[in-house]
Amino acid sequence: MELQWPLILFTTLVAWSAGTFGAQAVLALKGEGREVQVPAVVASVVLLALSGIAVFFHLQHWERIFNGFGHITSGITQELIAIVVFVVVAVVYFAMLRKSEDGGTVPKWLAVVAIAISAVLALVCAHSYMMAARPAWDTVVWPLVELGEAAALGALTVMAMLALKGGESKLGGLAAVAGSVASAVLSVALVAVWQASAGSFADVGYHFDPTTPTSPLLDVAAETNVLSGELAPLVWLGVIVVGALAPVACAVLAHKKGGKSWLALGAAGVVCALIGCVCLRVAFYELGLSVFMFY
Amino acid sequence: MTHYAIATDLNRCVGCLACSVACKALNGVPIGNFWNKTLRIGPNPKSEGDVFPNVEMYFLTVQCQHCKNPACVQVCPTEASHVLEDGTVQIDKSKCIGCQFCAMACPYGVRYLNEEERVVEKCTLCEQRISQGELPACVAQCGGRARFFGDLDEGVDSFEAPWVVDVTEGDPSYEKGQKTRITLKECVQEYAESDIHHLPNAGNDPAFVYVLRNRTWQGGE
Repeated sequence: MELQWPLILFTTLVAWSAGTFGAQAVLALKGEGREVQVPAVVASVVLLALSGIAVFFHLQHWERIFNGFGHITSGITQELIAIVVFVVVAVVYFAMLRKSEDGGTVPKWLAVVAIAISAVLALVCAHSYMMAARPAWDTVVWPLVELGEAAALGALTVMAMLALKGGESKLGGLAAVAGSVASAVLSVALVAVWQASAGSFADVGYHFDPTTPTSPLLDVAAETNVLSGELAPLVWLGVIVVGALAPVACAVLAHKKGGKSWLALGAAGVVCALIGCVCLRVAFYELGLSVFMFY
Repeated sequence: MTHYAIATDLNRCVGCLACSVACKALNGVPIGNFWNKTLRIGPNPKSEGDVFPNVEMYFLTVQCQHCKNPACVQVCPTEASHVLEDGTVQIDKSKCIGCQFCAMACPYGVRYLNEEERVVEKCTLCEQRISQGELPACVAQCGGRARFFGDLDEGVDSFEAPWVVDVTEGDPSYEKGQKTRITLKECVQEYAESDIHHLPNAGNDPAFVYVLRNRTWQGGE
Protein backbone atom coordinates (compact mmCIF):
# COMPACT_ATOMS: atom_id res chain seq x y z
CA MET A 1 0.00 0.00 0.00
CA GLU A 2 1.12 3.56 -0.69
CA LEU A 3 2.39 5.48 2.29
CA GLN A 4 -0.41 7.58 3.79
CA TRP A 5 1.65 10.41 5.25
CA PRO A 6 -1.29 12.34 6.74
CA LEU A 7 -2.31 9.21 8.64
CA ILE A 8 1.28 8.45 9.66
CA LEU A 9 1.53 11.94 11.16
CA PHE A 10 -1.98 11.76 12.65
CA THR A 11 -1.41 8.53 14.55
CA THR A 12 2.04 9.67 15.71
CA LEU A 13 0.83 13.05 16.94
CA VAL A 14 -2.23 11.52 18.62
CA ALA A 15 0.05 9.14 20.54
CA TRP A 16 2.25 12.06 21.56
CA SER A 17 -0.73 14.20 22.56
CA ALA A 18 -2.51 11.45 24.51
CA GLY A 19 0.76 10.41 26.17
CA THR A 20 1.64 13.94 27.28
CA PHE A 21 -1.82 14.47 28.76
CA GLY A 22 -1.77 11.07 30.44
CA ALA A 23 1.77 11.43 31.82
CA GLN A 24 1.14 14.79 33.47
CA ALA A 25 -2.10 13.36 34.93
CA VAL A 26 -0.04 10.52 36.45
CA LEU A 27 2.12 13.16 38.16
CA ALA A 28 -1.01 15.07 39.21
CA LEU A 29 -2.34 11.93 40.85
CA LYS A 30 0.62 11.98 43.22
CA GLY A 31 0.78 15.76 43.49
CA GLU A 32 4.11 15.98 41.65
CA GLY A 33 5.26 18.19 38.77
CA ARG A 34 2.83 21.02 39.53
CA GLU A 35 4.93 23.54 37.61
CA VAL A 36 4.53 21.60 34.38
CA GLN A 37 0.80 20.86 34.54
CA VAL A 38 -0.50 23.83 32.55
CA PRO A 39 2.19 23.80 29.84
CA ALA A 40 1.76 20.04 29.42
CA VAL A 41 -2.01 20.32 28.95
CA VAL A 42 -1.50 23.14 26.44
CA ALA A 43 1.18 21.13 24.59
CA SER A 44 -1.11 18.12 24.50
CA VAL A 45 -4.00 20.08 22.97
CA VAL A 46 -1.68 21.77 20.46
CA LEU A 47 -0.35 18.36 19.38
CA LEU A 48 -3.92 17.11 19.01
CA ALA A 49 -4.78 20.14 16.87
CA LEU A 50 -1.74 19.46 14.67
CA SER A 51 -2.82 15.85 14.29
CA GLY A 52 -6.26 17.09 13.22
CA ILE A 53 -4.70 19.34 10.59
CA ALA A 54 -2.58 16.42 9.34
CA VAL A 55 -5.54 14.08 9.00
CA PHE A 56 -7.53 16.63 6.99
CA PHE A 57 -4.92 16.28 4.24
CA HIS A 58 -5.89 12.63 3.95
CA LEU A 59 -9.53 13.36 3.20
CA GLN A 60 -10.36 13.95 -0.45
CA HIS A 61 -13.58 15.80 0.39
CA TRP A 62 -13.02 17.28 3.84
CA GLU A 63 -15.79 19.81 3.16
CA ARG A 64 -18.23 16.90 3.43
CA ILE A 65 -16.96 15.93 6.83
CA PHE A 66 -20.19 16.93 8.54
CA ASN A 67 -22.20 14.75 6.16
CA GLY A 68 -21.97 11.85 8.46
CA PHE A 69 -20.00 10.49 11.37
CA GLY A 70 -23.15 8.81 12.58
CA HIS A 71 -21.96 5.36 11.61
CA ILE A 72 -20.79 3.98 14.92
CA THR A 73 -19.14 0.83 13.52
CA SER A 74 -16.68 3.02 11.63
CA GLY A 75 -13.28 3.41 13.27
CA ILE A 76 -13.17 7.03 12.09
CA THR A 77 -16.43 7.79 13.91
CA GLN A 78 -15.09 6.12 17.04
CA GLU A 79 -11.88 8.19 16.76
CA LEU A 80 -13.91 11.38 16.50
CA ILE A 81 -15.95 10.48 19.58
CA ALA A 82 -12.75 9.71 21.55
CA ILE A 83 -11.18 12.99 20.42
CA VAL A 84 -14.26 15.03 21.43
CA VAL A 85 -14.32 13.39 24.88
CA PHE A 86 -10.55 13.93 25.19
CA VAL A 87 -10.92 17.64 24.40
CA VAL A 88 -13.78 18.02 26.88
CA VAL A 89 -11.69 16.38 29.62
CA ALA A 90 -8.68 18.55 28.67
CA VAL A 91 -10.80 21.72 28.92
CA VAL A 92 -12.19 20.69 32.32
CA TYR A 93 -8.67 19.74 33.45
CA PHE A 94 -7.32 23.10 32.32
CA ALA A 95 -10.17 24.94 34.08
CA MET A 96 -9.52 23.02 37.32
CA LEU A 97 -5.80 23.77 37.10
CA ARG A 98 -6.52 27.48 36.71
CA LYS A 99 -8.98 27.33 39.58
CA SER A 100 -6.56 25.63 41.96
CA GLU A 101 -4.66 27.76 44.44
CA ASP A 102 -1.18 26.70 43.33
CA GLY A 103 -2.15 26.58 39.64
CA GLY A 104 -1.05 22.97 39.34
CA THR A 105 -3.47 20.77 41.25
CA VAL A 106 -6.54 18.88 40.08
CA PRO A 107 -8.87 16.51 41.94
CA LYS A 108 -7.67 12.90 41.92
CA TRP A 109 -10.80 11.70 40.10
CA LEU A 110 -10.04 14.10 37.25
CA ALA A 111 -6.47 12.86 37.00
CA VAL A 112 -7.78 9.30 36.76
CA VAL A 113 -10.28 10.34 34.06
CA ALA A 114 -7.47 12.09 32.16
CA ILE A 115 -5.28 8.97 32.27
CA ALA A 116 -8.21 6.80 31.17
CA ILE A 117 -9.24 8.98 28.20
CA SER A 118 -5.60 9.28 27.10
CA ALA A 119 -5.29 5.50 27.00
CA VAL A 120 -8.66 5.13 25.26
CA LEU A 121 -7.75 7.72 22.60
CA ALA A 122 -4.47 5.98 21.79
CA LEU A 123 -6.14 2.56 21.63
CA VAL A 124 -9.16 3.71 19.59
CA CYS A 125 -7.07 5.56 17.00
CA ALA A 126 -5.00 2.44 16.36
CA HIS A 127 -7.96 0.07 16.56
CA SER A 128 -9.40 1.65 13.38
CA TYR A 129 -6.69 -0.08 11.40
CA MET A 130 -7.39 -3.57 12.69
CA MET A 131 -8.88 -4.95 9.50
CA ALA A 132 -9.26 -8.64 8.75
CA ALA A 133 -8.46 -7.84 5.13
CA ARG A 134 -4.90 -6.84 6.07
CA PRO A 135 -3.26 -9.57 8.15
CA ALA A 136 -0.24 -7.47 9.18
CA TRP A 137 -2.61 -4.89 10.66
CA ASP A 138 -5.15 -7.21 12.20
CA THR A 139 -3.41 -7.75 15.52
CA VAL A 140 -4.21 -6.48 19.00
CA VAL A 141 -0.48 -5.76 19.40
CA TRP A 142 -0.88 -2.71 17.13
CA PRO A 143 -3.21 -0.71 19.45
CA LEU A 144 -0.97 -1.74 22.34
CA VAL A 145 2.02 -0.36 20.41
CA GLU A 146 0.19 2.96 20.02
CA LEU A 147 -0.48 2.91 23.78
CA GLY A 148 3.17 2.08 24.50
CA GLU A 149 4.36 4.86 22.20
CA ALA A 150 2.01 7.28 23.96
CA ALA A 151 3.42 6.24 27.33
CA ALA A 152 7.03 6.65 26.18
CA LEU A 153 6.54 9.91 24.27
CA GLY A 154 4.34 11.43 26.95
CA ALA A 155 6.49 10.59 29.96
CA LEU A 156 9.73 11.66 28.25
CA THR A 157 8.12 14.92 27.09
CA VAL A 158 6.73 15.77 30.53
CA MET A 159 10.06 14.96 32.19
CA ALA A 160 11.95 17.15 29.70
CA MET A 161 9.47 19.99 30.32
CA LEU A 162 9.80 19.50 34.06
CA ALA A 163 13.59 19.69 33.83
CA LEU A 164 13.26 22.88 31.81
CA LYS A 165 11.20 24.35 34.63
CA GLY A 166 13.79 23.18 37.16
CA GLY A 167 11.50 20.59 38.72
CA GLU A 168 12.01 16.93 39.54
CA SER A 169 9.79 13.89 39.86
CA LYS A 170 10.88 10.40 40.79
CA LEU A 171 7.51 9.03 39.73
CA GLY A 172 7.83 10.76 36.35
CA GLY A 173 11.28 9.24 35.89
CA LEU A 174 9.96 5.78 36.67
CA ALA A 175 7.04 6.36 34.30
CA ALA A 176 9.43 7.37 31.52
CA VAL A 177 11.54 4.22 32.03
CA ALA A 178 8.48 1.97 32.25
CA GLY A 179 6.79 3.64 29.25
CA SER A 180 9.82 3.44 27.01
CA VAL A 181 10.49 -0.19 28.01
CA ALA A 182 6.83 -1.10 27.33
CA SER A 183 6.95 0.70 23.99
CA ALA A 184 10.17 -1.12 23.03
CA VAL A 185 8.82 -4.54 23.98
CA LEU A 186 5.55 -3.96 22.12
CA SER A 187 7.30 -2.61 19.01
CA VAL A 188 9.49 -5.71 18.87
CA ALA A 189 6.39 -7.86 19.39
CA LEU A 190 4.69 -6.15 16.43
CA VAL A 191 7.73 -6.80 14.25
CA ALA A 192 7.50 -10.48 15.24
CA VAL A 193 3.79 -10.54 14.34
CA TRP A 194 4.61 -9.02 10.93
CA GLN A 195 7.28 -11.61 10.29
CA ALA A 196 4.85 -14.39 11.20
CA SER A 197 2.02 -13.02 9.04
CA ALA A 198 3.19 -14.61 5.76
CA GLY A 199 0.91 -17.63 6.22
CA SER A 200 -2.18 -15.43 6.40
CA PHE A 201 -2.05 -14.34 2.75
CA ALA A 202 -3.60 -16.17 -0.16
CA ASP A 203 -1.04 -17.74 -2.47
CA VAL A 204 -2.26 -18.61 -5.97
CA GLY A 205 1.11 -19.79 -7.25
CA TYR A 206 2.15 -18.68 -10.72
CA HIS A 207 -0.19 -15.99 -12.06
CA PHE A 208 -0.50 -13.08 -14.47
CA ASP A 209 -2.42 -9.82 -14.42
CA PRO A 210 -2.89 -8.47 -17.97
CA THR A 211 -3.32 -4.91 -16.63
CA THR A 212 0.20 -4.92 -15.15
CA PRO A 213 2.07 -7.07 -17.65
CA THR A 214 5.55 -5.94 -16.62
CA SER A 215 5.08 -6.36 -12.87
CA PRO A 216 7.11 -9.13 -11.26
CA LEU A 217 5.37 -12.12 -9.73
CA LEU A 218 4.25 -11.43 -6.17
CA ASP A 219 6.28 -13.39 -3.64
CA VAL A 220 4.17 -13.51 -0.46
CA ALA A 221 6.99 -14.74 1.77
CA ALA A 222 9.40 -12.05 0.55
CA GLU A 223 6.80 -9.27 0.93
CA THR A 224 6.36 -10.01 4.63
CA ASN A 225 10.00 -10.78 5.46
CA VAL A 226 10.69 -7.72 7.58
CA LEU A 227 13.78 -9.09 9.30
CA SER A 228 15.90 -9.78 6.24
CA GLY A 229 13.87 -8.48 3.30
CA GLU A 230 13.66 -5.04 1.71
CA LEU A 231 12.22 -3.47 4.85
CA ALA A 232 14.94 -4.92 7.11
CA PRO A 233 17.11 -1.73 7.36
CA LEU A 234 14.06 0.37 8.23
CA VAL A 235 12.82 -2.13 10.80
CA TRP A 236 16.16 -2.95 12.43
CA LEU A 237 17.57 0.58 12.47
CA GLY A 238 14.49 2.79 12.53
CA VAL A 239 12.01 0.77 14.57
CA ILE A 240 14.19 -1.34 16.85
CA VAL A 241 17.47 0.56 17.43
CA VAL A 242 16.32 4.19 17.21
CA GLY A 243 12.62 3.81 18.01
CA ALA A 244 12.73 1.12 20.70
CA LEU A 245 16.18 0.88 22.28
CA ALA A 246 17.38 4.52 22.17
CA PRO A 247 14.44 5.96 24.18
CA VAL A 248 14.97 3.24 26.82
CA ALA A 249 18.66 4.15 27.03
CA CYS A 250 17.82 7.86 27.35
CA ALA A 251 15.19 7.24 30.04
CA VAL A 252 17.38 4.87 32.08
CA LEU A 253 20.40 7.19 31.88
CA ALA A 254 18.36 10.26 32.81
CA HIS A 255 16.67 8.40 35.66
CA LYS A 256 20.10 7.47 37.04
CA LYS A 257 21.54 10.97 36.69
CA GLY A 258 18.32 12.79 37.58
CA GLY A 259 17.76 16.56 37.71
CA LYS A 260 18.67 18.66 34.68
CA SER A 261 19.85 15.63 32.72
CA TRP A 262 16.19 14.96 31.87
CA LEU A 263 16.16 18.04 29.63
CA ALA A 264 18.70 16.79 27.09
CA LEU A 265 18.14 13.07 27.52
CA GLY A 266 14.35 13.39 27.69
CA ALA A 267 14.31 15.52 24.55
CA ALA A 268 16.67 13.09 22.80
CA GLY A 269 14.43 10.21 23.84
CA VAL A 270 11.38 12.00 22.43
CA VAL A 271 13.14 12.64 19.11
CA CYS A 272 14.25 8.99 18.87
CA ALA A 273 10.78 7.74 19.80
CA LEU A 274 9.21 10.01 17.15
CA ILE A 275 11.63 8.72 14.50
CA GLY A 276 10.72 5.19 15.61
CA CYS A 277 6.99 5.98 15.38
CA VAL A 278 7.34 7.23 11.81
CA CYS A 279 9.56 4.30 10.74
CA LEU A 280 7.15 1.82 12.31
CA ARG A 281 4.22 3.37 10.44
CA VAL A 282 6.12 3.42 7.14
CA ALA A 283 6.73 -0.33 7.58
CA PHE A 284 3.08 -0.69 8.68
CA TYR A 285 1.81 0.74 5.39
CA GLU A 286 4.39 -1.11 3.31
CA LEU A 287 3.12 -4.33 4.90
CA GLY A 288 -0.52 -3.32 4.59
CA LEU A 289 -1.17 -5.92 1.92
CA SER A 290 -4.60 -7.41 1.48
CA VAL A 291 -5.32 -11.09 2.03
CA PHE A 292 -5.87 -11.44 -1.73
CA MET A 293 -3.19 -9.18 -3.19
CA PHE A 294 -3.42 -10.22 -6.82
CA TYR A 295 -6.16 -7.92 -8.13
CA MET B 1 -34.43 -11.19 0.77
CA THR B 2 -32.71 -10.81 -2.55
CA HIS B 3 -28.95 -11.05 -2.96
CA TYR B 4 -27.80 -10.50 -6.51
CA ALA B 5 -24.46 -11.97 -7.50
CA ILE B 6 -22.51 -13.38 -10.42
CA ALA B 7 -21.49 -17.01 -10.86
CA THR B 8 -18.59 -17.71 -13.18
CA ASP B 9 -17.88 -21.12 -14.65
CA LEU B 10 -14.08 -21.03 -14.75
CA ASN B 11 -13.94 -24.16 -16.92
CA ARG B 12 -15.77 -22.17 -19.60
CA CYS B 13 -13.87 -18.86 -19.21
CA VAL B 14 -11.41 -18.40 -22.09
CA GLY B 15 -9.77 -15.24 -20.70
CA CYS B 16 -10.94 -13.07 -23.61
CA LEU B 17 -11.22 -10.01 -21.29
CA ALA B 18 -14.57 -9.08 -22.86
CA CYS B 19 -16.05 -8.69 -19.36
CA SER B 20 -13.28 -6.32 -18.31
CA VAL B 21 -13.60 -4.27 -21.50
CA ALA B 22 -17.41 -4.18 -21.34
CA CYS B 23 -17.24 -2.92 -17.77
CA LYS B 24 -14.76 -0.20 -18.71
CA ALA B 25 -16.83 0.94 -21.67
CA LEU B 26 -20.24 0.87 -20.03
CA ASN B 27 -19.27 2.43 -16.71
CA GLY B 28 -16.69 4.94 -17.92
CA VAL B 29 -14.07 3.53 -15.56
CA PRO B 30 -11.07 5.94 -15.46
CA ILE B 31 -7.72 4.99 -16.98
CA GLY B 32 -5.72 2.93 -14.51
CA ASN B 33 -8.82 1.81 -12.60
CA PHE B 34 -10.39 -1.61 -13.15
CA TRP B 35 -13.75 -2.52 -11.68
CA ASN B 36 -13.36 -5.96 -13.19
CA LYS B 37 -10.11 -7.77 -13.95
CA THR B 38 -9.36 -11.12 -15.53
CA LEU B 39 -6.36 -12.77 -13.89
CA ARG B 40 -4.59 -15.84 -15.17
CA ILE B 41 -3.98 -18.30 -12.34
CA GLY B 42 -1.24 -20.72 -13.31
CA PRO B 43 0.17 -22.59 -15.01
CA ASN B 44 0.66 -24.47 -11.74
CA PRO B 45 1.72 -28.13 -11.29
CA LYS B 46 -1.21 -30.55 -11.29
CA SER B 47 0.39 -32.39 -8.39
CA GLU B 48 3.31 -31.37 -6.23
CA GLY B 49 6.56 -31.69 -8.13
CA ASP B 50 4.92 -31.94 -11.54
CA VAL B 51 6.53 -30.10 -14.46
CA PHE B 52 5.31 -29.20 -17.95
CA PRO B 53 3.20 -30.61 -19.52
CA ASN B 54 1.57 -31.77 -16.27
CA VAL B 55 0.34 -28.27 -15.43
CA GLU B 56 -3.04 -26.58 -15.28
CA MET B 57 -4.41 -23.05 -15.28
CA TYR B 58 -7.62 -21.11 -15.29
CA PHE B 59 -8.76 -17.52 -15.66
CA LEU B 60 -10.22 -15.78 -12.65
CA THR B 61 -12.48 -12.76 -13.06
CA VAL B 62 -12.21 -10.55 -9.98
CA GLN B 63 -14.36 -7.59 -9.01
CA CYS B 64 -16.36 -6.39 -5.99
CA GLN B 65 -17.81 -9.57 -4.51
CA HIS B 66 -20.90 -7.76 -3.12
CA CYS B 67 -20.24 -9.50 0.18
CA LYS B 68 -22.94 -10.62 2.59
CA ASN B 69 -21.02 -9.03 5.47
CA PRO B 70 -19.12 -6.22 3.74
CA ALA B 71 -16.21 -4.77 5.74
CA CYS B 72 -16.21 -1.69 3.48
CA VAL B 73 -19.72 -0.78 4.67
CA GLN B 74 -18.77 -1.35 8.29
CA VAL B 75 -15.82 1.07 8.21
CA CYS B 76 -17.45 3.87 6.19
CA PRO B 77 -17.91 6.89 8.50
CA THR B 78 -20.63 8.55 6.41
CA GLU B 79 -22.59 5.48 5.26
CA ALA B 80 -21.65 6.37 1.68
CA SER B 81 -20.93 2.66 1.23
CA HIS B 82 -24.16 0.84 1.88
CA VAL B 83 -26.07 -2.32 1.08
CA LEU B 84 -29.13 -2.01 -1.16
CA GLU B 85 -32.28 -4.08 -0.76
CA ASP B 86 -31.13 -6.24 -3.66
CA GLY B 87 -28.05 -7.22 -1.62
CA THR B 88 -25.56 -5.27 -3.73
CA VAL B 89 -22.97 -2.98 -2.13
CA GLN B 90 -23.17 0.55 -3.54
CA ILE B 91 -21.44 3.89 -2.95
CA ASP B 92 -23.34 7.17 -2.61
CA LYS B 93 -20.64 9.36 -4.12
CA SER B 94 -22.21 12.56 -2.77
CA LYS B 95 -21.61 11.29 0.78
CA CYS B 96 -18.08 9.97 0.25
CA ILE B 97 -15.37 12.03 1.98
CA GLY B 98 -12.61 10.07 0.28
CA CYS B 99 -11.05 8.67 3.45
CA GLN B 100 -10.38 5.41 1.57
CA PHE B 101 -10.85 3.25 4.65
CA CYS B 102 -13.26 1.14 2.59
CA ALA B 103 -10.46 0.47 0.11
CA MET B 104 -8.23 -0.58 3.01
CA ALA B 105 -10.92 -2.82 4.51
CA CYS B 106 -11.63 -4.64 1.24
CA PRO B 107 -9.71 -7.93 1.08
CA TYR B 108 -9.69 -7.93 -2.72
CA GLY B 109 -8.35 -4.46 -3.58
CA VAL B 110 -11.24 -3.83 -5.94
CA ARG B 111 -12.00 -0.29 -4.77
CA TYR B 112 -10.35 2.63 -6.52
CA LEU B 113 -10.07 6.31 -5.81
CA ASN B 114 -11.41 8.27 -8.78
CA GLU B 115 -8.71 10.96 -8.95
CA GLU B 116 -10.96 13.40 -10.78
CA GLU B 117 -14.05 13.14 -8.61
CA ARG B 118 -11.98 12.36 -5.48
CA VAL B 119 -14.35 9.64 -4.35
CA VAL B 120 -14.02 5.88 -4.15
CA GLU B 121 -15.62 3.76 -6.86
CA LYS B 122 -16.04 0.09 -7.64
CA CYS B 123 -18.21 -2.43 -9.48
CA THR B 124 -21.89 -1.54 -9.03
CA LEU B 125 -23.01 -4.82 -10.55
CA CYS B 126 -24.35 -2.47 -13.24
CA GLU B 127 -27.12 -1.33 -10.90
CA GLN B 128 -28.37 0.98 -13.64
CA ARG B 129 -29.01 -2.12 -15.78
CA ILE B 130 -30.10 -4.76 -13.27
CA SER B 131 -32.67 -2.42 -11.72
CA GLN B 132 -34.33 -2.45 -15.16
CA GLY B 133 -34.21 -6.19 -15.51
CA GLU B 134 -31.12 -6.24 -17.74
CA LEU B 135 -27.94 -8.23 -17.16
CA PRO B 136 -24.67 -6.66 -15.94
CA ALA B 137 -22.45 -5.69 -18.88
CA CYS B 138 -19.78 -8.26 -17.95
CA VAL B 139 -22.38 -11.02 -18.04
CA ALA B 140 -24.06 -9.79 -21.22
CA GLN B 141 -20.73 -9.53 -23.10
CA CYS B 142 -19.04 -12.69 -21.79
CA GLY B 143 -17.31 -14.32 -24.76
CA GLY B 144 -17.30 -17.83 -23.32
CA ARG B 145 -20.84 -17.82 -21.89
CA ALA B 146 -19.13 -18.38 -18.56
CA ARG B 147 -20.82 -15.69 -16.51
CA PHE B 148 -24.30 -15.86 -15.05
CA PHE B 149 -26.26 -13.34 -13.01
CA GLY B 150 -28.99 -14.02 -10.49
CA ASP B 151 -30.32 -14.07 -6.98
CA LEU B 152 -28.36 -16.26 -4.55
CA ASP B 153 -31.55 -16.98 -2.63
CA GLU B 154 -32.99 -18.63 -5.75
CA GLY B 155 -29.92 -20.86 -6.07
CA VAL B 156 -26.96 -20.71 -8.44
CA ASP B 157 -28.68 -23.02 -10.93
CA SER B 158 -31.22 -20.28 -11.64
CA PHE B 159 -28.58 -17.69 -12.60
CA GLU B 160 -28.98 -16.40 -16.15
CA ALA B 161 -26.86 -15.49 -19.16
CA PRO B 162 -27.85 -14.20 -22.61
CA TRP B 163 -28.78 -16.89 -25.11
CA VAL B 164 -28.85 -17.23 -28.87
CA VAL B 165 -31.72 -15.36 -30.51
CA ASP B 166 -33.32 -17.13 -33.42
CA VAL B 167 -33.89 -14.21 -35.80
CA THR B 168 -35.46 -16.43 -38.47
CA GLU B 169 -38.62 -16.72 -36.41
CA GLY B 170 -40.86 -14.09 -34.88
CA ASP B 171 -39.58 -10.79 -33.55
CA PRO B 172 -35.85 -10.17 -34.24
CA SER B 173 -35.74 -7.01 -32.10
CA TYR B 174 -33.21 -5.81 -29.54
CA GLU B 175 -35.86 -6.38 -26.86
CA LYS B 176 -36.06 -10.04 -27.76
CA GLY B 177 -32.29 -10.27 -27.65
CA GLN B 178 -32.28 -8.79 -24.17
CA LYS B 179 -34.90 -11.18 -22.87
CA THR B 180 -33.68 -14.40 -24.43
CA ARG B 181 -31.69 -16.11 -21.71
CA ILE B 182 -30.40 -19.44 -20.55
CA THR B 183 -29.94 -20.59 -16.98
CA LEU B 184 -26.66 -21.80 -15.57
CA LYS B 185 -28.12 -25.27 -15.03
CA GLU B 186 -29.17 -25.53 -18.68
CA CYS B 187 -25.92 -24.12 -20.01
CA VAL B 188 -22.97 -25.56 -18.11
CA GLN B 189 -21.64 -29.03 -17.42
CA GLU B 190 -22.71 -30.69 -14.22
CA TYR B 191 -20.83 -29.68 -11.14
CA ALA B 192 -20.63 -30.90 -7.57
CA GLU B 193 -20.95 -28.86 -4.40
CA SER B 194 -17.18 -29.24 -3.96
CA ASP B 195 -16.66 -27.48 -7.32
CA ILE B 196 -18.16 -24.25 -5.96
CA HIS B 197 -15.58 -21.78 -4.69
CA HIS B 198 -15.32 -18.25 -3.33
CA LEU B 199 -12.45 -15.79 -3.03
CA PRO B 200 -10.66 -15.95 0.36
CA ASN B 201 -13.08 -15.01 3.11
CA ALA B 202 -11.78 -12.59 5.72
CA GLY B 203 -15.08 -12.57 7.58
CA ASN B 204 -16.80 -10.60 4.79
CA ASP B 205 -18.57 -13.62 3.22
CA PRO B 206 -18.07 -12.91 -0.50
CA ALA B 207 -21.27 -13.52 -2.45
CA PHE B 208 -19.81 -14.22 -5.90
CA VAL B 209 -19.56 -17.85 -6.92
CA TYR B 210 -16.87 -19.56 -8.98
CA VAL B 211 -17.35 -23.04 -10.43
CA LEU B 212 -14.14 -24.96 -11.11
CA ARG B 213 -14.12 -28.67 -11.94
CA ASN B 214 -11.19 -31.08 -12.23
CA ARG B 215 -8.61 -28.45 -11.33
CA THR B 216 -7.17 -27.23 -8.06
CA TRP B 217 -8.64 -23.97 -6.76
CA GLN B 218 -5.69 -21.78 -5.79
CA GLY B 219 -5.45 -19.29 -2.94
CA GLY B 220 -7.81 -20.85 -0.42
CA GLU B 221 -11.37 -19.82 0.36
